[in-house]
Amino acid sequence: MRYVALLPEALVVFTALLVVGMGRLVPSVGRRYMAWAVAIVLLIAFGVELWAGGVLTTYFDGTLVQDRFALFAKAAALGIAMIAIASTDWSAEDSLHFGVAMPLVAAFGVMVAASATDMVGLWAGLELAAASAVVIVALRRPDLGLRLLLVGGVASALLLVGLAFVYGSTGNGNLSAIHDVLLNRMPTIALAIPTLLMLGGVSLRAGLAPFHIGPLPIGLGASPLGAGLVFGLVTVAAAIVGIKLFAALTPAPALFTPAAYVVAALAMVGGGAAALAVRSPRPRMAYLAVSQLGWVTAGVATHYRSGFASSLFLLAAFGVAATCGPVVLGRADAGETAITGLGAVRPLRAAALALAILSLAGAPPLAGFFGELSVAAALAQSGNFILLGLGLLGAVLSLVAAIGTLRVLYIQGPIEDSRRGGAPLAPAMTSLVTVGALVFSVVIAGYGLFGQPILGLADQGAEALGLR
Amino acid sequence: MMPIVFFAQASPTPAPAPGAGLFTSPFLLSLLIWVPVAVAFGLAFIPNPRGRYDTLIKQIAFFTLLPLFGLLLIAYNQFENFLPTMQYEEKINWLPSIGVTYHLGVDGPGMAMLVLSGLAGVVAALASWGIRERVRSYFALLLLAQAAVTGAIVARDMFVLVLFWGASTIPLALLVVGWGGPRRVAAAWRLVGYWGLGTAALAVGVLILYAAAGGTSFDMDNLLKSGSGLSTRVALGASVVIIVAAATRLPLFPLHGWARDVLAESPPGVVVVVASAASRLGAFLLLRVLIGGEPGAAQLLSPLLALLAALTVGYGALAALRTVDIRHAGAYLALVPGGITVLGIAAVSPLGIAGSVLSLFTGGLAAPLIACVCATVAERAQTRSIPVLGGLGPRMPNVAWLFVIAALALLGVPIMATFATEIMTFFGAFRTQPIGAFAVAAGLAVTAVALASLLARTMFSAPNSNAPGVSDAAPGEVWYLGIMAGALLWVGLFPGGPKIPGTEVPLFDPGLISQISAGVSDLAAPFVAPTAPGTPAQ
Repeated sequence: MRYVALLPEALVVFTALLVVGMGRLVPSVGRRYMAWAVAIVLLIAFGVELWAGGVLTTYFDGTLVQDRFALFAKAAALGIAMIAIASTDWSAEDSLHFGVAMPLVAAFGVMVAASATDMVGLWAGLELAAASAVVIVALRRPDLGLRLLLVGGVASALLLVGLAFVYGSTGNGNLSAIHDVLLNRMPTIALAIPTLLMLGGVSLRAGLAPFHIGPLPIGLGASPLGAGLVFGLVTVAAAIVGIKLFAALTPAPALFTPAAYVVAALAMVGGGAAALAVRSPRPRMAYLAVSQLGWVTAGVATHYRSGFASSLFLLAAFGVAATCGPVVLGRADAGETAITGLGAVRPLRAAALALAILSLAGAPPLAGFFGELSVAAALAQSGNFILLGLGLLGAVLSLVAAIGTLRVLYIQGPIEDSRRGGAPLAPAMTSLVTVGALVFSVVIAGYGLFGQPILGLADQGAEALGLR
Repeated sequence: MMPIVFFAQASPTPAPAPGAGLFTSPFLLSLLIWVPVAVAFGLAFIPNPRGRYDTLIKQIAFFTLLPLFGLLLIAYNQFENFLPTMQYEEKINWLPSIGVTYHLGVDGPGMAMLVLSGLAGVVAALASWGIRERVRSYFALLLLAQAAVTGAIVARDMFVLVLFWGASTIPLALLVVGWGGPRRVAAAWRLVGYWGLGTAALAVGVLILYAAAGGTSFDMDNLLKSGSGLSTRVALGASVVIIVAAATRLPLFPLHGWARDVLAESPPGVVVVVASAASRLGAFLLLRVLIGGEPGAAQLLSPLLALLAALTVGYGALAALRTVDIRHAGAYLALVPGGITVLGIAAVSPLGIAGSVLSLFTGGLAAPLIACVCATVAERAQTRSIPVLGGLGPRMPNVAWLFVIAALALLGVPIMATFATEIMTFFGAFRTQPIGAFAVAAGLAVTAVALASLLARTMFSAPNSNAPGVSDAAPGEVWYLGIMAGALLWVGLFPGGPKIPGTEVPLFDPGLISQISAGVSDLAAPFVAPTAPGTPAQ
């Protein structure tokens, strides 16, 4: 039973290798059913994770751990990857095989980071997830792939230097050992500088304001699935790394909370304002994602268990919407005209897109609303009313932006192809995409309704990080 | 005079309606919320090529809201007004990790709001019969808005309240932007901006109370009970942001910026929903949280509330007097009932509070009635310009009658339900807030002048030969306006419900004043003046 909990990782890695191998060796075999098959494999992996992931154990001499935090994050990553693959319109992607394999690699990266017990494991998981985004972005735009590699390199360097300094200061690379060392030590400048470097690295990877100027333009030029990975799964991986790192530093909250407050406030308000300023659906979604990620950071900044649990709860909702939002948008990403009147001609696609945007904006009663309000409750409990007020301001701006897109989707009538300015109308959905979009819509709409098991697991996850 | 005597008692004990309490349902309130949501989703996915099923969609929406309103009337009839506790209560643990329960329930004020909301839903569906474009989306959004407003009324958990309060903004904004007049885009953004600000303020207020109560539960039973133990500073902070939230909804000056454009640009069905229950939620929130939960802060802030009430009534009346656009005039006049409601709350006395509770219902009908009558005049006369209109009375007699009834309702003349409201409110307020009450009364006098001027210029002056052609209201318009006017007359004539002749036994309607008493005495209890032993309570 102990090793059954590793079966999801094995399934994911094996399937990714198989798919890439098939793409090289027998590219025409099984193309029609490949996405179906991979989605089903991910569903099985998701089921196994929920069924067998409850064990508490370690693997490979304690390098990886299976605890409630790992269970939560792994299940979330598998679920996100499954829905993303199922909702992808493969005619809009550059390569079926790489397109199917890269979300698997990204999910595996999140799983490694979630199970890591030391700084090296965290870094490796994050790099793995980020590499998948570089591959998929480079398939369409090699220049953007290179740029992402460069941005990732800077982020990685910041993170590694920070990790090295922390290792040097505490004499340990293990996260729980760092936690224990800090329990008996006052925060010093020697620890504050590497903490800032790590926060910078994680923020750059996650695209948090003001570091969004790195990855955000890259996601805008990528294919729909590529954008989903950049804005969604890779960001989730970075957030998981951030949560684990800062959970280890909670005995000395002064090391990271002031900087985290600033980053959270900038992201929440700046993301909402920027979303309001742009009109195209994909950039608007990207900025809404930045704003919601600010809420995740705000929960971490409370440095309490309830805040971390709320952040995890929101992170899963964020991951689904931010990954699948660009995916359900599909080829209709060439400005506002591409989605004008989409509600009348493609009702399911429009509904899924509307739900993604509303959830990222934190509109009630969708997944993002429940996540943001649970973070708001944690902020209130810890007395951070200024950050709470800024977050609510950002939420109002985000809501106004989201309603702007809804207006274009539903209120404006469809326009003729000649007036679309070359933007193609989103094609009708295939059967798998229909199923994927339906599952996505149900998850976003039902997340809060069935929120207790998820929030309960997130709370146990935060407890597993050693938080009180 | 019956209502005044009735509420002047510190602990009114209304005669229970025979047979009350026979009907109970553990799912009644959930049905009222979720059936419209389910039907809205059903409508959204009905194939409707080239509007082929437009009429069917309208019928589905109407015949969803009508039986629900019938069910609500049974619940109203069966409401046990001698019990101060919540009724038709539903309580399920939802997110226990952060203390959220799916807790619904109604007391007397809640029942008044619920009946108003149900009636507004039916009237809004009737008023929307003329919608021709994107009928499926329109009625789906209307049902969603209706469900959200109902949810906010019956919520007994602050998290659930914030959820429904915020959720009502989105469908209403889309209705305004999709089916409104020439300035619809600006109107919708203003609505989203102000109501979004209000939602944020409500969330802050709720979270302050939540944190102060230990951060374990969002349940009103817990938060509003513990509120009395808050430090004055915290209680004042929470109360001020709650007042901001309420002021954006009701609306109150100076946070009324959305009202003119939204009420003047929206189609009549949307005006009914917005100006009735959706906006009365603001005053309902003040009653629930400020009066019910923070009586100390309410006492301290009552002069501020009286000031806001006076400014709102005065501004609405003066702006209506100056404007040359009849729909703007209707929108400004629709601000007046909200000011009177808040004056009752500012009175912080049992009589004033009872008046404000009754005013939730009466103001929630008078405001949409005046705004919709003005919309009908503009529609039927093909112009919104008051100088162009003239002598319409003989040419549109139905509208003229309804206009006069709306004006009388707004002014609170006897036989209209607003009479009881205003007399209770002013009697309650002149004792505790004499300056505020005098200012509101002066504003009401200016309102009378504005209404008289409006009626004289549009209905009873010489006809303008250069004006476009005029027609009387269509039967559908007469129906929906008539239902609102009829409800105001009914409650005005039978505030305690019609009785079997020669007895005190009520017929089918136990009377709105009797039914709202459940809960009002609880709300007003902290404000009852202490009486010397042996003297009757005042």
